[in-house]
Amino acid sequence: MSGTVSPPEDGLFGRFEILTAQRQLRVDGQPVALGSRAFDLLAVLVARRDRVVPKEELIGLVWPGLVVEDNNLQVQISALRKVLGTQAIATVPGRGYQFTVAAAAAAAAAAVGAVQAARAPERSVGAAPRPARLLVADDNKVNRLLLCRSLELMGHEVASADNGHTALGKLRGERFDLLLLDLEMPELDGFALLEQRAADAALHAVPVIVTSSLEGVAQVARCIELGADDYLHKPVNPVLLKARVDSSLERKRLRDRQAELLARHAPDLPDTGQAAGALPESRRATATLLCARLGQVDTLPAHDTLELLSRWITLMFDAVEGQGGLVSQIGGDTLVAAFGAHRPAGGDAGAPGAALQAAREMGELVGLFNAERSAAGSPALVLSVGIASGEVVAGQAGTPRRSAYVCVGTAVQHAAQLEALATQRGGGVLVDAATQEALSGHAAAHALVPVALPSRSMVMQAYALGPH
Amino acid sequence: MNDTVIDPHTFDELQATAGADFVVELVDTFAAEAPTLLAELHAARAAGAAERFRRAAHALKSNASTFGASRMAALARALELGGLPADATAVDTLAREFETTLAALQALARQ
Repeated sequence: MSGTVSPPEDGLFGRFEILTAQRQLRVDGQPVALGSRAFDLLAVLVARRDRVVPKEELIGLVWPGLVVEDNNLQVQISALRKVLGTQAIATVPGRGYQFTVAAAAAAAAAAVGAVQAARAPERSVGAAPRPARLLVADDNKVNRLLLCRSLELMGHEVASADNGHTALGKLRGERFDLLLLDLEMPELDGFALLEQRAADAALHAVPVIVTSSLEGVAQVARCIELGADDYLHKPVNPVLLKARVDSSLERKRLRDRQAELLARHAPDLPDTGQAAGALPESRRATATLLCARLGQVDTLPAHDTLELLSRWITLMFDAVEGQGGLVSQIGGDTLVAAFGAHRPAGGDAGAPGAALQAAREMGELVGLFNAERSAAGSPALVLSVGIASGEVVAGQAGTPRRSAYVCVGTAVQHAAQLEALATQRGGGVLVDAATQEALSGHAAAHALVPVALPSRSMVMQAYALGPH
Repeated sequence: MNDTVIDPHTFDELQATAGADFVVELVDTFAAEAPTLLAELHAARAAGAAERFRRAAHALKSNASTFGASRMAALARALELGGLPADATAVDTLAREFETTLAALQALARQ
């Protein structure tokens, strides 16, 4: 490791442009204010974008010769994510970070898609729809050419197929945002393709607009029953075509965004598809639950509150995922995470040790947060954390259209109560006896101090982390 | 003549949305594809293949509608919905209408 940051390569990555000489990042052509460390960090990540970069390597390159805690790195990662979007820098638990935006030219479309998906909530209603990748399936050459032309003029990238088999092959082998499907086709007609799509959860991700000159309501009804999103009669009215395409793409964008959030909540769970796929089976496991709450947030102005919570949640995700945990719930100023329920927790002390380390990192991050706020004359925020271990049932729950990763069990309730007790004590970290016992023999146990609990407490015994 | 063979509003809209140059290409494609479909009508009728006949008529109806060739589209639709005809008269009528339609389209597209 050289200990110095090599100059970043000038380059265009989706909507982002790095200008070496000016040490400047531009987004959509506009310069963005970025601290010197954050720019160095970006340069390192971009130069090594073909792999996951370990935290130690990043720290060594960005803070050469200095002893720096992980949380400094996390703060800079958080700052970059605010500018680039959450997905631009992936956290790989236990390994490090990776820059995920593809370089321009051939991969530009994919990069724009990924980054825009990450920034999706900022997109205002009525904004120009972004280009998408569309597939037109129609055996009639005149209709196929005209449809492709119309969609290309809307700014989309369009591929075509002249029968259902070819279309199905393309759908299974390439990424598409929308299929425009004719019904009357040789070999495999539109109805048969819709039936195959209905039986294949992976294909549900691609919405379908049927375009046909078949007459009769029955045909339309059958298409809708088979899962088509919309139906357009030929000859297709160009205004209607644009409206239906934009609408279908917008719905897909929202579904993708939902899936992305779900994946962030439970990244190791099997993909359930976009619509009617079966939910993964639940699992009974011994796990450690962490419940965290950021206090004093409600005293801030509304805009500041949401901005602060977004930043806090990003940092807390890093602290949890960095220790191999999964965030199972975000409730405004609270967050619940599970360690050891669906994937091995990091470190020698297993799930309890990982949860305790995550809580420690959360505390350090909030400390840095408060240092910034103090310099700006803002009141300090208070972090309260409860940790409890025990048997839980964990898995995906909800309806096929809307589900979430959840944990159920006494440990969940105990963690929540310990968090409430910690809040009453003015913040800090409280763990239950099961967690403390699990840590006996490990260094982390030495930092746990018994605390007196209210007589009516559901948790019988608790320990505080550190000298609080 | 053109006004009766081709609906000017539909054709103008097609040129406006797809581009006049592209419509020239599209008419050329129609000129290349339609004879095959007309031949399929004859072959399917002779073979007694009702579904093949219906599909070919359906494709011709669809293409004619795209260009605003409403008279040709109506003839093709009658074949699509009417089942196998007893003789080739209706197919021949459609073929003649196609020739008229194509001439009108080529004239309009190159104006």
